[in-house]
Order: sequence, then structure tokens, then C-alpha cells
Amino acid sequence: MVGLAVVIPFIFPADFPISTTPEAQMVFDSVEALPDSSIVMLVFDYYPSTIAECEPMARTALHHFWRKDCRVITLSNIPLGGPSMAENVTREIAPEYDKQYGIDYVNLGYKANYVAVLAGMGNSIESIFPTDNSGTPLSEIPLMDSVVNYEQVSFIFEVADNATADYWVSIVNAQYGVPIACGVTAVSAPKYYAFVASGQFVGLLGGMKGAAEYEQLVGKRGKAVVGMGAQSLVHLLIISLVLIGNIGYFVTGKARKGMSR
Amino acid sequence: MRTTVPVIVAFLSGIILVVSFFFQETSFIGGLSQELKVWLTIVGGFTLLLGVVSITRVNFSGVVRRRPGWGYKILTLISIFAMAIPSILPTSWSPLFGRNAGSIYDWLFVNLDSPMMATMFATLAFYIASAAYRAFRARSAESTILLITATVVMLWRVPMGEALLNMLPGDIPSFLNTYVMGGANMAVQRGIIIGAALGAASMSLRIILGIERTYMGKG
Amino acid sequence: MTGIEIFQTWLIAFFTLALFSFLYKDNPVYKIAEHIFAGLSAGYYVGLIWDTVIIQQLWTPMTVDGRWWLIVPGVMGFLMFTRFWKKITWVSRIPLAFVMGVTAGIFLISQLHGLVLPQMRDTMLPLWNTQGYGQLFLTIIIVVGVISTLIYFYFSKEHTGALGVTAKVGIWFIMISFGAHFGYTVMGRVSLLIGRVQFLIEDWIGSFT
Repeated sequence: MVGLAVVIPFIFPADFPISTTPEAQMVFDSVEALPDSSIVMLVFDYYPSTIAECEPMARTALHHFWRKDCRVITLSNIPLGGPSMAENVTREIAPEYDKQYGIDYVNLGYKANYVAVLAGMGNSIESIFPTDNSGTPLSEIPLMDSVVNYEQVSFIFEVADNATADYWVSIVNAQYGVPIACGVTAVSAPKYYAFVASGQFVGLLGGMKGAAEYEQLVGKRGKAVVGMGAQSLVHLLIISLVLIGNIGYFVTGKARKGMSR
Repeated sequence: MRTTVPVIVAFLSGIILVVSFFFQETSFIGGLSQELKVWLTIVGGFTLLLGVVSITRVNFSGVVRRRPGWGYKILTLISIFAMAIPSILPTSWSPLFGRNAGSIYDWLFVNLDSPMMATMFATLAFYIASAAYRAFRARSAESTILLITATVVMLWRVPMGEALLNMLPGDIPSFLNTYVMGGANMAVQRGIIIGAALGAASMSLRIILGIERTYMGKG
Repeated sequence: MTGIEIFQTWLIAFFTLALFSFLYKDNPVYKIAEHIFAGLSAGYYVGLIWDTVIIQQLWTPMTVDGRWWLIVPGVMGFLMFTRFWKKITWVSRIPLAFVMGVTAGIFLISQLHGLVLPQMRDTMLPLWNTQGYGQLFLTIIIVVGVISTLIYFYFSKEHTGALGVTAKVGIWFIMISFGAHFGYTVMGRVSLLIGRVQFLIEDWIGSFT
């Protein structure tokens, strides 16, 4: 039944209006408020397992940044796939905005132990990432000429499916004051409402719905918006199953009580 | 010797990092702490390799000793080497080597590893649907609160469900976002964050002071 | 679609369906896919660490930039492998202690300065400075919710009397949060399935035409 509920909306697509939560609007507004050509960080802190939820966020953020002509530094604290996904997504979208590697964007890749990486970049990015992902020294990359540490970074967009987002808050935002917006999987989204309320995150995208909201705000309809039909149908199915299960529980419970009398 | 040296190493490295927080990054202690962070990223890398060596040893010994499923273990070993060997060969020899786009490593990741990992986790959707049907029962006041919140949130987070909620009087979606997610849920998460962070900080202090030594294992 | 793209699409579709076949029951095709997946994932680390750590952070800085002192973390890294020999396994405690020490040093400050203090500060909200009854209601929810949750997780004293009542309120708050978590978790898991179905319908079945 779940399988069918996912497949049917792809065969018979129907558009439903997607409302925007204030948290997603905050993400959009924060990026919009950036001065053109700002230096921003886009962090691919997710595994391929959650690509369906996280990649639409990363892609849309990249469109949004490049529409504003921002210079983008990508990196990843995820050893399994992070740097490859950052490389593939940026290189795929760059031609659309005529962006050149090394000038408009750079992929720093991965370094082990994210606590040390995040804390170390506060002093010097080059000491933690002596080269970019493919081994070119940072000193030979024009974009990195003007970037020493977080002081030159105007904004960080963290896309995560794990607890690395906590450390971006506790180390980078708290100690260096860089504004951070976060796109996380639905599983971890409820936790991060606390960081939005305290102002430690300037916005939050939660799961595929959050990604769909952001896609709609940026005006770049992608896989998240398309997936909302299937998402709706499966949710309604599960809610129906829960209701049926509870009705059955009360009916059989009353029957059992009646029999025991 | 076996425990004293590690305790001293943990103390010195930890205390330098703590003290450096109160000094300029350009100071001697700031520079020293930065160097230790760089060292940590290097040692951290080796810990990942340790895991790979371990999985290779386990599978290799399973094949040599013909343990149950040894045929499958051969596949694991072949896959490890198919991914690893071309990736460590220099790109100057062939564009198929290394980690760049167009390499064997990248091709295997994009076409096999990444979609397989995504599929592995996608199967969980079926189990969570089944779990919701079987386990979600309004047996007590607490479970009823949980059931109602979960159901309403599930409804709210999808366009069709939100359209249904909008048919009811009052702005229910806005109420859910402000008072449930941003109110009660946020308060609980905040409590958990504060508790966990205090626990992590006290555990860190115990490690630096050498009181906590369980990470060393036995022997 | 070029020939190689069609081959790639079919290959991904085969392994996707092979892994989904576990939903029916455990079978050899699933096992083959599972073991290949485990091997590729392990192999991925080798290429990554070889390049980003051993070459970029260790070998090049030592040989080109003359930062010879990096031999220390290099040796510590290799000492990790002493875990495989019982007699000298204790030596691996030294690099492990270094990892624990530095991480603890960063954590000790960042957890207090970056999490505890800001979260506590944002809970100490003024009741008299709120905008309307809605905001007042929200403030009360937050203050009561945080305190009762903290008390629920305080196990050093028996939950009786006022403490017991507060802990009970804490459970209700926790149930609301866990319910929201469950709703979101369902959403997350379904999204992952949607991702794979999107591939199968749009890319794989799309390649038939």
C-alpha cells in the first residue's frame, strides 16, 4: 500500500499549494539580505542515504547564492560521499550561471574530525585545508586569496543529516558570530527549533517539505516540490492506518471487556 | 606506563585547548592549539583507515576459514579493492585513477555506492508505516498525547493535509508551528540540549583530568 | 540518453530493486548487493583518506613546505594500528588519548559557551515585556516546558511531591515533542523512498522510451 501511495502521484501528478513556514522564509530572507558578491559557505554534511531530502536544499541554496552572485566555498565533514556530492552538484549547476571554478566557487573537500576542522578554520582555513578537494594548493586559488578564516565569510548554509549542525552552532556561531542557516532532515528538524528561537540559526528547512518551501521561494521547482504529492498520499495513508488500528483496538477492547463480564 | 602516558597526553592536549580559548589566536598558546587541531585532523583520518583495515581483516579471515557466507565476503573484498586501488594511483598515469570526476572511484560512487546507500535507508519507510499501524494505540493519557501530536504534525507537514486543516476553523497550521513546534517541542528540545551539553562538558573535564579512562579499554 | 547513460541507469535500477527485494524476504540477490555496498563504502574511505589526509595534510606539507614536525601526528596515526597486536595494543591508547584530550578541550568550552549559556539565556524571558496574550502564552509554555523537562531527567532525587508533579508535567511536554518527532520521522523516511521511486519512474522507466 505504501509503495502504491508513492507511485500513484508520479503517474497522475496533481499540484497542491505549498505554504511557507516562517523558518523557511527566514532562510530565504537571510540570503536575500546578503550584499552581492558576498563570500558564503555551503556545507554538504549529509550522507548519500538522505540525498532525497538534503540535495534539493543544497541545489536550491546554490541557485540562490549564484543568482546573487555570491562566491561559494563548499566543504564537507562527511567522509562517505560528502566531498563527491559537493563536487558533482557545484560542477553541474555552475555552467547555468557561467561560474568558474577557483574564481566563483571552490570545493575544499573533506578533513577528518569535524570538531577540529570547525574550530581550526576559525584561526586559519588554509592550515586545515592546505589544498582544495583535488589537491590544488589554496594559495593558487584566486577566490581564497581574500579568505583567511571565518571573518571573511558572510554566511554559512549548513545542509546536514546528523549532529554536525550542533557544532556549527556551538563552535562557529558562538565563537565567531557567523550567521548560519540550516537545512536538515525531517528526523532532526524538531531539535533545531531551539536554535532558531535562540537566534543561533537564522532559519531552518526541515526535511523534504522544507526543501519544497525553499524551492518555491527561490522559484526553482525541483525534486522536493514534485515529491510533495507522494508525500501527502503516504501521510494520509499512514494516518488512516493509525486511525483504523485505534478503532480496532477500542472495538476489540470493548468486546473483550464484554466477554469478561 | 600503559595508563600514565595516555593520561598525561590527554591532560596536556586538553588543557592547552581550554586555556587557548582565553588568549588571542595569534599568541603562542593560540598557535599551539591551532597546531594541535591540525594534528587531530591527521590522527582522525587514520582512525577511519583503522576501520577499513579491520573490515578487510574480518572478511579476509572469513574467506580463508570458509566461514558461512564466505562467497559474499569475497564480493566485499573485491569491492573494497576496486574502489581503493584506482583511487590511490596518481592521476598523471590515467584520468581513470584518483578521485576526480571521470575516475573509477567517482563512477563507482555515483552509480553504485550512493544509490545503494539511498535505497538501504528508503526501505525504512515500509517499516515505519507498519510500526505506526501496529504500535500507535491510545492506551494511556501520555500515549494519547503522543498519538494526537504525531497525527496532526503528519497532516500539517504535507500540502494535502494542510489543505484539510485549513478547512477547519482557526489558523491551525500557524498554531502548530508557533505553539507546538516552536513552543512545547522547542522547550523539550532545549531542556535536552542543556542537559546533554552539561553532561558533555562534565565528561570532557573528567577526560582531561584523567578521571574518565574507559575510552582506553581493558588491559 | 547515450549508451553508457542507459547502462548506468539500468545498473542503478538493478541494485535498487535488488536491495528492495529484502522487503519480500532475505535472498541471495539482496546479499550480493549488500556485500558490494559494504565493500564500496569501505573502499571509499581509503581513497579519501589517502588523498585528503596522507597526501594533502601529511606528505606534501612535510616534503614540500618543510613542516617536518608533522611526523608526530603521522606516527601517532600509525600507532593506532597497534590495536591489531595484543602485546602492544596498549600503545594505541596514546593517539586515542590525544584525540580524546583535544576533543574534550574543545568540547568543554564550546558546550558551555555555545549551547548551555545561549539556550538558558533565551529561556529567561520577560513576562511583562511581551507582545499580546499569544506571546505571553508562548513564553509560559517555553519556561514551564524547559524546567519540567530538566526536572524529569533529574534522577538524583525520587520523583515525589512537587518534584513528582513537575516531572509529570515534563512527561506531557516530552510526549508532545516525541509525537512531533515521530511525525517528522515518518516524513523523513517516506521522503527517502520517494527519492528512489522518483529515480525508478523518471529515469529508469523513462529510459524505455
